Amino acid sequence: MDNKLKISINDLHFSYKDKSVLSGASLRIMENTINAIVGPSGIGKSTFLTTLNRLWDTTSAEMTGKIEIFFHGVPQDIYDPRFPETTLRRKVGMVFQAPNPLPMSIFRNVAFPLKLAGKTSRGETEESVEKALRQAFLWDEVKDRLHKDALLLSGGQQQRLCIARALVLAPEVLLLDEPTSSLDEKAGAVIEELLVELKKNCTMVIVSHYLAQVDRIADTVHELVGGKFVTGRR
Amino acid sequence: MKALTEKSVVAVFRGSAFLSAGAAALILGFLLVFGLPLFREGRIFSLVTTMWAPAEGRYGILPMLAGTAAIASLGVVLSIPLSFGAAALISVFAPRRWGRFFRAVFLMATGIPTVIYGFVGIFLLAPFVREFFDAGSGLCVLSAALMLAVLVTPTMTIFFVHGFDRTPRSYLQAVDALGGNDVQKLLYVILPGAWRHIIGGITLAAGRAQGDTLLALMLSGNAARIPGEPLESARTLTAHIALVFAADHESPEFLSIFVCGLMLYLFSTLTVVVLRRLEAPFRRQHR
Repeated sequence: MDNKLKISINDLHFSYKDKSVLSGASLRIMENTINAIVGPSGIGKSTFLTTLNRLWDTTSAEMTGKIEIFFHGVPQDIYDPRFPETTLRRKVGMVFQAPNPLPMSIFRNVAFPLKLAGKTSRGETEESVEKALRQAFLWDEVKDRLHKDALLLSGGQQQRLCIARALVLAPEVLLLDEPTSSLDEKAGAVIEELLVELKKNCTMVIVSHYLAQVDRIADTVHELVGGKFVTGRR
Repeated sequence: MKALTEKSVVAVFRGSAFLSAGAAALILGFLLVFGLPLFREGRIFSLVTTMWAPAEGRYGILPMLAGTAAIASLGVVLSIPLSFGAAALISVFAPRRWGRFFRAVFLMATGIPTVIYGFVGIFLLAPFVREFFDAGSGLCVLSAALMLAVLVTPTMTIFFVHGFDRTPRSYLQAVDALGGNDVQKLLYVILPGAWRHIIGGITLAAGRAQGDTLLALMLSGNAARIPGEPLESARTLTAHIALVFAADHESPEFLSIFVCGLMLYLFSTLTVVVLRRLEAPFRRQHR
């Protein structure tokens, strides 16, 4: 594993409705690693994730500090006003706690980000969708029913579909907010396995409650304590 | 105890439902009974297909049918894009605080009495139409339809907003996280899920537009002839009922207003049936 810096977080302060969540948090995340963010619930782990793709609610929260992500080796201040958040979110994918497929077919769900990005060539779309579904370990299970409603899939399949959807634009960073917490053990294990496989292409930041899971897949563990990160390999 | 309360509540609701359905049926019956002489003599068909010329003893309501169709449909067609834009602004594009403000304004607007719209129409809109198009008195199909559009837009907008706001948060979050902008969110996720509410809003607006009496009476000029273009005067079925009713209870004209009532009934029923058919394919998909 190489040791290139992927994300640099410097002196992050974050407060939500006057309640301080992060106070001077700094963190360095290396390329092609899985980074677990741990800590008691309600301490702001998920909020921290959303600072990395600017998905937090700007109307009721405030943030200061600097976050740089090295896209193809070039540092980018992700809060630079000239850097559109839609561009950022196409490079930094996110998977949520509960699977959130859209009410459309399996194929159209995975192709949706391509449509949003204005990439509409049919052949390319089909190719990208298949590749993403394979990366998410879902292709074999759905290849015969790509045009069926995505909401008919099982919970574990839906979550892998959401991972595939996040992967279709080939993001360099993937944020995962307790991605297995709504799934049974077996479905969760498949996802853990695929995340480890994804390290080849992606840098991952994962919020997890399960210490066993963190032990199994994380390269680095960052504990959120009093609004700051304490980093250590468990 | 609980079972008893539940039963009585169900009984009350059922009673209310029967009562309102019964009222609608009763009105239809009333119209039919009073219009019966016309049916018996088979005159109803000639009445709905001929012109209005009481001096010559002809009481056809064809011009009024055309007037209602023209004014109501133009009004609804004009208000659809207006409502659509307003609803999109309220629930998608405006900052939250402004969205809430606009929503309150539109809710309030649904409660403004029609006659106020009529005043605005007479003192502001009609003179404007008169000057701008150089069109006689300015009392014409266009004036009535424009004001009607303003009248039904708040109702339609609130309906659309309800539909838009029902979009599950997880869908919106998914689009945000995938790098979609607000327009894409509206087109690809919010709209497909709101189809039922859109049709519902249009149905309600169409009903109100057909049934509105005052605006047409005040703004359309009330000439009992088929309008050839939007700048010509026209008379609606509702305005006709009001005008004839006010004039004379004994005349042969009087009977014709029951035909007008029947036709209005038929129009609104047809509108509901047609629009509900449009909505049907989406009913199963979105609960």
